[in-house]
Amino acid sequence: MSRLIPLVKGEFDRLNKYNLFTANFVVLLLWVGLAWFFEGEELKMFLPAVFLLDATMMTMLMVAATLFYEKQEHTLNSIMVSPVSEDEYLLSKIIVNIINSLISVFFISAAVYFIKDVTYDYLKLVPAVIVVTVVHTLFGIRLSYYAKNFTSMLVNFIVYVFLFLFPSLFALLDIIGPEMARFLIILPPEASRILITTIVQEVEPWKLLFGYGYLLSLSFIFYRFIVKPKFNDFLMRETGV
Amino acid sequence: MIKVRNLKFKYPKNKEYTINGIDFEIEDGEVFGFLGPSASGKTTTQKILIKLLKNFEGEIEYYGKPLASYGDDFYQDIGVSFEMPISFSKLTAMENLEFFKRLYQRTVDVEPLLKRLGLWEDRDKKAGEYSKGMKIRLNFIRALINNPKMLFLDEPTNGLDPANARIMKDMIREFKEQGGTVFLTSHIMSDVDELCDRVAFIADGKLREINSPRNLKIKYGRRMVKVEYREGGRLITREFSMEEIKTQAFFDLLKEKDIETIHSGETTLEEIFIKVTGVALRE
Repeated sequence: MSRLIPLVKGEFDRLNKYNLFTANFVVLLLWVGLAWFFEGEELKMFLPAVFLLDATMMTMLMVAATLFYEKQEHTLNSIMVSPVSEDEYLLSKIIVNIINSLISVFFISAAVYFIKDVTYDYLKLVPAVIVVTVVHTLFGIRLSYYAKNFTSMLVNFIVYVFLFLFPSLFALLDIIGPEMARFLIILPPEASRILITTIVQEVEPWKLLFGYGYLLSLSFIFYRFIVKPKFNDFLMRETGV
Repeated sequence: MIKVRNLKFKYPKNKEYTINGIDFEIEDGEVFGFLGPSASGKTTTQKILIKLLKNFEGEIEYYGKPLASYGDDFYQDIGVSFEMPISFSKLTAMENLEFFKRLYQRTVDVEPLLKRLGLWEDRDKKAGEYSKGMKIRLNFIRALINNPKMLFLDEPTNGLDPANARIMKDMIREFKEQGGTVFLTSHIMSDVDELCDRVAFIADGKLREINSPRNLKIKYGRRMVKVEYREGGRLITREFSMEEIKTQAFFDLLKEKDIETIHSGETTLEEIFIKVTGVALRE
């Protein structure tokens, strides 16, 4: 694991050079700008949606974009013929996305505190964002594996958003009623929403336990049985078959 | 150093084997060349040897132990130069090299390498702004960054101008003289002829011949002398075998005719390759 630090540092350097940080920052500014128009309880309902979108959609897009660049420029070849293990490589992606998500949490929280004097339970937010980011980083990697080009990667991403994320957002905005929303908990974004919503409202303990247990199990299963085993296939295609 | 026995490899979507039962050995300190046309299995063999492709059949030993038993530290010992550019395009050449340096336990000073290959002045230029030849040279420096014991070079001079190809070939020769081992794949006959101690001919995933370039020329080549002279205003060409040049007829020709050129007509590796495999190199 000694190569994790240089891998993470290298990944941050590239996020900066490839302007992915800038893109992320622009989105954060957009969220803060939107938050300006909300007050009190409305703002407290809006913020979990922001954190949810950042830890899910942005995470998936960021990791998919970095993998896309590495695939396009064949740099993955070069990394994989250095003493870097598959675990180190994949873990570096997860760590970078966790740090990115936490930077977003810090930035938005600081902004709404100074602009609107709004606070919430940060100790509940941080672990929730970490778990949500981990599972969605793995989803993003999985989506990238089978993307032939950037367009197909975006199509895969949009399909995921439509199928899994939109129902959760509808539930968050009360477009879907609580009765129906109960069944959505098996969707990863909905389980994520429940964990993040705890920062502004009470959530039944079983839902919280289920949410953490489910997402952590999903992360483990995804990593162990899908992302890591398929990495070699991805590498084989990437190396130009 | 490396022993390969009955190596076979089939890509998941292919019905046929890309590598179909090949055997060879690479000795410590030699430059071993793989000569073959496009899609003959050269690059696939290299990818198997550097552990990028894993689901192969057969046996590969590296210093007496199965290749699969080596962990990621295997890469501390080897350097790989790919045929295609493999740099982060938005990072400068120096930033690219610094990133990869951090992944190794032992590294070299890249300044002399960059200077020798003519990239020092452009070290702070983004790799994406480099020409193809510059990117290939950067690949080569990347391969040397960890002071490897063995180099895997895939078409190392392809896309280089003659001057830089010369420098790179000199560096490969120096690497060998310092005890390094090289596995070199190429379809450029002159590179293989000049650099390799032994060469393997590969076509359609099978090895057709392994020998030194010199032995191959002796075994398959025609050793003769070609003489061109003018007679009655016409250019006439005659070929003499090594036996024939000892005869009086040959000396008489030299004495009596208006000789324009005399060449030793050594058979090239490319001609031998075609003769042995029945396949042209430039496909």
